[in-house]
Amino acid sequence: MTALHATSGLLALDHVTVMLGKRQFGPFTLSIRPGEQVAILGPSGAGKSTLLKLLARELNPATGQAHFDQRLLTDWSLAELSRRRAILPQSHEVAFGLPVDLVIGLGRVARAHDPYLNSIVQQAAAHACAAHLLERRFDTLSGGEKARVQMARVFAQLWDVEQGLLLVDEPLAALDPGLQFELMDAICSFASKRGHSILAILHDINQALQGFERLILIKHGTLVGDYQTSHVTLPLLEALYEVRLASAMTEEGEMIVAPSLKQQMLSNSCLDY
Amino acid sequence: MTSFISQSSRTTSTVWGLPQWFASKPAWLLSLILIAGVWAAATMGAVPVTWQDWLAVLKNSDEPLSGGAYVLWHLRLPRILFAVLIGAALALSGALAQGLFRNPLADPGLLGVTSGAACAAALTIVLLASSGIEVPAALRYWLLPATAFCGAVTVCFILDSVARWLTADSIAGLLLTGIALNALAAAVIGLCTYLATDEQLRTLSFWTLGSLAGANWALAGVLLITLVLALWALRQLTHAMNALALGEAAAAHVGVNVRALRMRVIMLVAVLCGFAVAWCGMIGFIGLVAPHIVRLLVGPDQRRLAPLAMLVGAILLLLADTAARTVAIPAEIPVGIFTALLGAPFFLVLLARMRKGV
Amino acid sequence: MSHVFNNPKEGMPHARRIFLSQLGAAVAAVCLPQLALGNEAGKKTARRIVSVGGGLTEIIYALGAEKELVGVDTTSLYPEAATKLPSVGYARALSSEGILALSPTLVLATEDAGPPAVLRQVGTAGVPVSILSANDKFEGVIERIQHVGSLIERAAQASQLESQLRQDWQRARAPILARKTSAPRVLFILSHSPAQIMVGGRKTSADAMIAYAGARNAVDGFDGFKPLTPEAVIAAQPDIVLFTEQGMGVVGGVDGALKLPGLAQTPAGQKRRIVALEAMFMLGFGPRLPQALSALDQLLTKAMQG
Repeated sequence: MTALHATSGLLALDHVTVMLGKRQFGPFTLSIRPGEQVAILGPSGAGKSTLLKLLARELNPATGQAHFDQRLLTDWSLAELSRRRAILPQSHEVAFGLPVDLVIGLGRVARAHDPYLNSIVQQAAAHACAAHLLERRFDTLSGGEKARVQMARVFAQLWDVEQGLLLVDEPLAALDPGLQFELMDAICSFASKRGHSILAILHDINQALQGFERLILIKHGTLVGDYQTSHVTLPLLEALYEVRLASAMTEEGEMIVAPSLKQQMLSNSCLDY
Repeated sequence: MTSFISQSSRTTSTVWGLPQWFASKPAWLLSLILIAGVWAAATMGAVPVTWQDWLAVLKNSDEPLSGGAYVLWHLRLPRILFAVLIGAALALSGALAQGLFRNPLADPGLLGVTSGAACAAALTIVLLASSGIEVPAALRYWLLPATAFCGAVTVCFILDSVARWLTADSIAGLLLTGIALNALAAAVIGLCTYLATDEQLRTLSFWTLGSLAGANWALAGVLLITLVLALWALRQLTHAMNALALGEAAAAHVGVNVRALRMRVIMLVAVLCGFAVAWCGMIGFIGLVAPHIVRLLVGPDQRRLAPLAMLVGAILLLLADTAARTVAIPAEIPVGIFTALLGAPFFLVLLARMRKGV
Repeated sequence: MSHVFNNPKEGMPHARRIFLSQLGAAVAAVCLPQLALGNEAGKKTARRIVSVGGGLTEIIYALGAEKELVGVDTTSLYPEAATKLPSVGYARALSSEGILALSPTLVLATEDAGPPAVLRQVGTAGVPVSILSANDKFEGVIERIQHVGSLIERAAQASQLESQLRQDWQRARAPILARKTSAPRVLFILSHSPAQIMVGGRKTSADAMIAYAGARNAVDGFDGFKPLTPEAVIAAQPDIVLFTEQGMGVVGGVDGALKLPGLAQTPAGQKRRIVALEAMFMLGFGPRLPQALSALDQLLTKAMQG
């Protein structure tokens, strides 16, 4: 992979490592094209969140270079960066019980002059199915409602931007399947309309297989695979999770994956003890 | 770029834009209460003041004032202004600290800022006396306030660097550091009290009682300028302070430079709190209660909270100090007693209302 | 002078005094002529004195100037009449406006008075403020009497009081100086509340009184008042324990005092030699000093015999 290739694309990592205490993660080399929808899969503790933090600039590379839109990630100011990429966090808590419209508006806090703020807040809320929550206080919301409001905040942040980047960290894991589907759909349609790239950490393999065109596989703190979704095979996923999987085809030709009930092939799981 | 915005719905922003707090109903009401309070406080006191005295004060002639006019101009009015300004400063430092720590119970006392200031003052009193250094009379007036102020600033710097070194960018680390610094300051003050002679204890007791008796126009002027500067600095911070409620990481994601913000807020808290402690000793409750009251009145939006908390703090301390001045005429009762008496029940009532969800 | 009132809590005016002072202020507000501030008024109108310090108030009464007294602080408890005057409050938390409201022409205060800013404000308003030195010596009392006498133009009465006091002092000291028995070890205990028990070390008013009474302070390891520790009390081996009457009340009389940690293990505790005197009388270092010394001497002597 040439250096030229490494800096091209919306987001590009070139042999980036990151240290978390004494543990080293990486090296990661990958590139995300504008508008691409990528899922990150991997077992718990594999380093998915660390990779996301690196991309979010919460962690700085120990070695290697990370570029965002042809510029070194560390050269971006936080305010500039916030106008191009947004992050949907795993936890939803907000202190003090701020009103929902204010929370959503906070996505645009880095803009000094923002004449359309009110209408953007309204539209972002509507797109996240949270329009009816605008008058409420955040701390009175249920878990699902909080997730919608946080999503609306992220939508507001990148509402009038094109070719931005949306980083998503398992925001829907605790929600019921219907809501998960609805919200993931909202994210994808929001992003594809504006040409935003999505990079999402997911727990649900099926969600990744169905909604995303490319899968990045992470294990033991490093990149173990980077595939177009259509090229992902069952053994790859089995090796990733060290679990035996079974698959079935839906009538529409989508592959559904689930852990197999027969797990005897596992060699290094806790079941061996 | 704006193709995603429906043009029809462009309205004058009530959510963002310049703080329009002064146009809101609570702001009007509180301002009226404050003005009424100032007027009432000016008419109350040990020395009877007539309307002729008011005229004499307003006339601005070269003749030296006497009688009630002297008391009004040289003692009562500067003290009233002082109470208003110190109350506002304490409330603002409380509101900032609570916003910074995303904890409604955080106040500069919790940070160790107040005790840091008192600790520096106590050390100065005891060490200076035992070292035998003669301080010129002109300097002596400024010495303790200056050291108290330095104490507050020092604590803030230690707080910031230690917390960053221990746990980078974590609020919990900062709070824990504050607790440790508080304990340290308490130990040093305790040691000073033990080592102090009776004469030194006298000075120390002024510090712990808290009093606005030292008010004068020059001091009030300095404080007013400080507050105006603080408000100016605040104007740029309140947006970002709101984002801090999302958590530090999310605040950074939406473009807030959390480290710089924290530094600026901490410096503001130190300046406001240091000034208050330096000139008035330790006056409790205002920094904790005033932001609470405002949060219950208008919600937690920092852009309205900070200025309104200043108004409420000013009202509270003015009421407390007027009571301190007038309840036991011609004697005076320590103002800290009244800040607690006024603040605590009010606070409890509002808490009860909040529970009911009113 | 009075080191008894170092604790802020002690000086807090209680309800009765607040009421009295309010009454006083109300009366003052009605009866007072137009406020006379500044020196030029002092010559014509009668002198009006505010006294901050119990000892000073006693001196003013002793010099027969009580008619000129218009305000006192909370430590001015003697004579009884002084407590009827408007109170300017606790000596360390004075109010400039409160003092000025009494239209004084002279403010007398000891070094205890404060806050300094208030005394400055009163001075700036044109009222002379005299700060008298506070020390725990008989000569200090004489000095203060002379000083006050000259300030309120009663030098003759002051001289008369001085010679009277010197005579009384001689009379009080003579039996003590003549005594051949060994000096008893006296432990002085000060208590503002049951949780705050302090013992008097060197350089305290109590230490001075104990020495004048021909006894020895059982505690000589430190200066000032320090918290009581049981082991230190036992190590001090006092023959007598001396309280203020107020402090004795706080700990619950002699029986309560005996329950203080360590006290029962001392000679004083075992023989119930526990005595008390009124605080301002014993430690005020005012004109009643000779009587106070005699009273203390008698108490100690009786305790040692009993």
